[in-house]
Amino acid sequence: MGANASQLEKEIGSDQFPANEHYFGLVNFGNTCYCNSVLQALYFCRPFREKVLDYKARNKRNTKETLLTCLADLFHNIATQKKKTGTVAPKKFIARLRKENEVFDNYMQQDAHEFLNYLLNTIADLLSAEKGSNQTNHSTNTWVHEIFQGTLTNETRCLNCESLSSKDEDFLDLSVDVDQNTSITHCLTVFSNTETLSSEQKYYCENCCSKQEAQKRMRIKKLPMILALHLKRFKYTESQNRHTKLSYRVVFPLELRLFNKTSNIECDDKLYDLVAVVIHCGSGPNRGHYISIVKSFGFWLLFDDDLVDKIDASAIEDFYGLTTDTQKTSESGYILFYQSRD
Amino acid sequence: MLSTSPSKATVASSHASSEVRMAASNSQIPGVRSHFKTPEGRYNLSHEKTHPTGLLHYNFGKVTTQVTLAHLKDKPAQTPANSAGSSGSGGVRFTTRLLGAGNGSRGLGFGGGNGFTGRLSGTSKSTAIPITGMSSSNGPMTSSFDGEGTYLIFNVGDALFISDYNSQDKEPIKIIHFNSANPVCHAFDSEAKDGHDLLVGLNSGDVYSASLRQQLQDVGKKLVGALHYNKDGSINGSRCNAVAWVPNAEGLFVAGHADGNVYVYDKSKDGGGDVPFPPVKDTTQFSISHARSSKSNPIARWHICQGSINGLSFSSDGKYLATVGRDGYLRVFEFAKELLVCGSKSYFGSLLCCAWSPDGKYVLTGGEDDLVQVWSMEDQAVVAWGEGHNSWVSGVAFDPYWEAPSPDTGAGETTTYRFGSVGQDTQLLLWDLAMDEVVVPLRRMAPSGASPSSNASANHSTHWDGAMHTLGALHPAPIRKEVPKLAPVMAHRVHAEPLSGLLFTNEAIVTACHEGHVKIWDRPGKGYALVDHRAEISAVGGPKDKLLPLGKGAILHLRQ
Repeated sequence: MGANASQLEKEIGSDQFPANEHYFGLVNFGNTCYCNSVLQALYFCRPFREKVLDYKARNKRNTKETLLTCLADLFHNIATQKKKTGTVAPKKFIARLRKENEVFDNYMQQDAHEFLNYLLNTIADLLSAEKGSNQTNHSTNTWVHEIFQGTLTNETRCLNCESLSSKDEDFLDLSVDVDQNTSITHCLTVFSNTETLSSEQKYYCENCCSKQEAQKRMRIKKLPMILALHLKRFKYTESQNRHTKLSYRVVFPLELRLFNKTSNIECDDKLYDLVAVVIHCGSGPNRGHYISIVKSFGFWLLFDDDLVDKIDASAIEDFYGLTTDTQKTSESGYILFYQSRD
Repeated sequence: MLSTSPSKATVASSHASSEVRMAASNSQIPGVRSHFKTPEGRYNLSHEKTHPTGLLHYNFGKVTTQVTLAHLKDKPAQTPANSAGSSGSGGVRFTTRLLGAGNGSRGLGFGGGNGFTGRLSGTSKSTAIPITGMSSSNGPMTSSFDGEGTYLIFNVGDALFISDYNSQDKEPIKIIHFNSANPVCHAFDSEAKDGHDLLVGLNSGDVYSASLRQQLQDVGKKLVGALHYNKDGSINGSRCNAVAWVPNAEGLFVAGHADGNVYVYDKSKDGGGDVPFPPVKDTTQFSISHARSSKSNPIARWHICQGSINGLSFSSDGKYLATVGRDGYLRVFEFAKELLVCGSKSYFGSLLCCAWSPDGKYVLTGGEDDLVQVWSMEDQAVVAWGEGHNSWVSGVAFDPYWEAPSPDTGAGETTTYRFGSVGQDTQLLLWDLAMDEVVVPLRRMAPSGASPSSNASANHSTHWDGAMHTLGALHPAPIRKEVPKLAPVMAHRVHAEPLSGLLFTNEAIVTACHEGHVKIWDRPGKGYALVDHRAEISAVGGPKDKLLPLGKGAILHLRQ
């Protein structure tokens, strides 16, 4: 390895460094770590990266700048670097983001999950629009849907007439409540637990033609290729009139299956591997910092804006959260990306 | 715009429920209740053991507390150290091999023990005949720890703590510091012949054997009179996650490491002059290498899997060794024959712990799928999933002292087991497992039939080349709807921190949490029984509906 080799290259070793892979930090343009951390996680969601690079290759003559073309340029920029490691400045992407959405048009700390949501939906809309005239079909399937979309079945049983109605709902990611000293499996189970709709939340039963008490549960009917799980760590507390962070320890395994599925997809018992985690560091939603860890060719990397480090898989446990409520500040997993095996 | 992240309730209600939940968990932390109820009665918190306050907070590293029960028998005989072990210290060693301690003694056993100390004490039958050796080269010994005693050994940070099990004192009676490295695991052998009854494995890979009594008698804060193996990680520098004595094989012990290797040691051999083993050729395959020299220690390396060995446990007769690890597989080996017999994959994620039933018929595992799995040696299959933990399962053990409710009719048709599990959800769960032997189908496959070419020269390391041997014996993850589900008979939050250790004694349940607190929960009625239940466990039977009220426990009708 040459004298120019970065510390990271030395650490990985020239014989171990994956061919044609690039590990580039992203420059922070003033509180843009929410953006950088999500972009890195998405870059290492391989199916997503491939589609974005593919889009770049197929749209060379496209002159109209969109958030997607900016993302494609950024990914292309990283993927075609001569060096294996270094930093790039996502200047154009950030500028475009700030131009398109006033929420992000400032130098304040933003929510990484809100950004992920916005980005995926914007890309999906752009792709749908590009598919052309068949605007009538609103649920046009794009590669964003192919990668991230799953389906939930919302089953409601009227407690008066016992009739069962179910409604399907698509999702690009799942937001789950967190609880102290639990696992992500438990959070997903709670997400699907049966709840009773009563008093002000009564359910309008079409059979009874009136509002009735009902039981409702939400289970997963179709599993996505990449399962994005958002841990609801920011809770609004009325007494303080602000959002506070729940630094609860929520453990997440490197390998995952889901328990909360509808019975008819038992045969489709997908095994997921953890591929990326967006981590929130600090005490509250408007303060602190975002970093991400990603899996690449069997080892784990930590991206902290322009810094990139190789980490041991055993270091992931540092990001589960805290077992005591006394400390509010923590480095804890915020968005988990699980990729289906095959 | 697509709808993403559907939240399952209206904003108002989800806030309300989360407020409640937050309030609940906040109030729970100081107030972990000091008793819990089971079908057989109420368990009460008897006393706690912990480390001195202020000491080493946040020097924990990534080592969680494990707990080992150690019973030292009465009136140790003093004999000169045997020649092979004498290179260590020049100190006096004791043989604790007694020809019995009399039936009046409290028959504390060593069953359970979180997979690391899966060892039952031998039945003590005859009267004590102390062998009085005369040598005492180190001057007069303090006599305070000569007698019978029961101790809890647990690790916190860089220290090993020894507490008197029967005293109410919170603080340990002895602290041993390892300074540059942290102890991770330990094991105790009450039948050790030359007095070296305690094993300690460190995160540096180093392993020590020593005499527990000698530690108690020494006033210092260092391990004394120990034999040191894999010094400074010279043979294997990865963390030692589990150690265990081989039952019925005097002086043999094993150490499981974070790189997927298990080493077999013979404590009668000098640990010095370690000769490294050749590199593992294919880390995905099971392979065994034997030491080239008959004098060197360790005597063998078993490369078991890629990724960490997280736990190991011997069946009480020493015939079988079970290992669990990062790759999610339980593996069962016939130890003396060095054969992989069978095994199975977790539903998903790593397995963290394992333990044998006292009769060797079942192996419990716990792991990152939040499940307690019951593996049947006879059926060569997972026969039950215990669902009830809200996080990873970090400790499992059978209760060898539990007595099923008195049998009415049809005794012998049902075998009932009690086991426990502890998790990172801070909960202790107790489970009843009833195997209705009438409905157990014929075995699909005999254990020996599951290991290919078992009649071939089993001791040859070359025998293990090739994938077919391991693939033949290991089962993939079970299909979820085919596995009978078990619900706990009791769930109780026993500590404020995630749990890491569990063991059963004759009169109590012992739990340990990550940060070094140990609690002793007295059994209902507390008094210790006069008979040794262990031998009767397999014979105890009872009508199933009486043992396990519907919806709590479950009777397992084994499937085809």
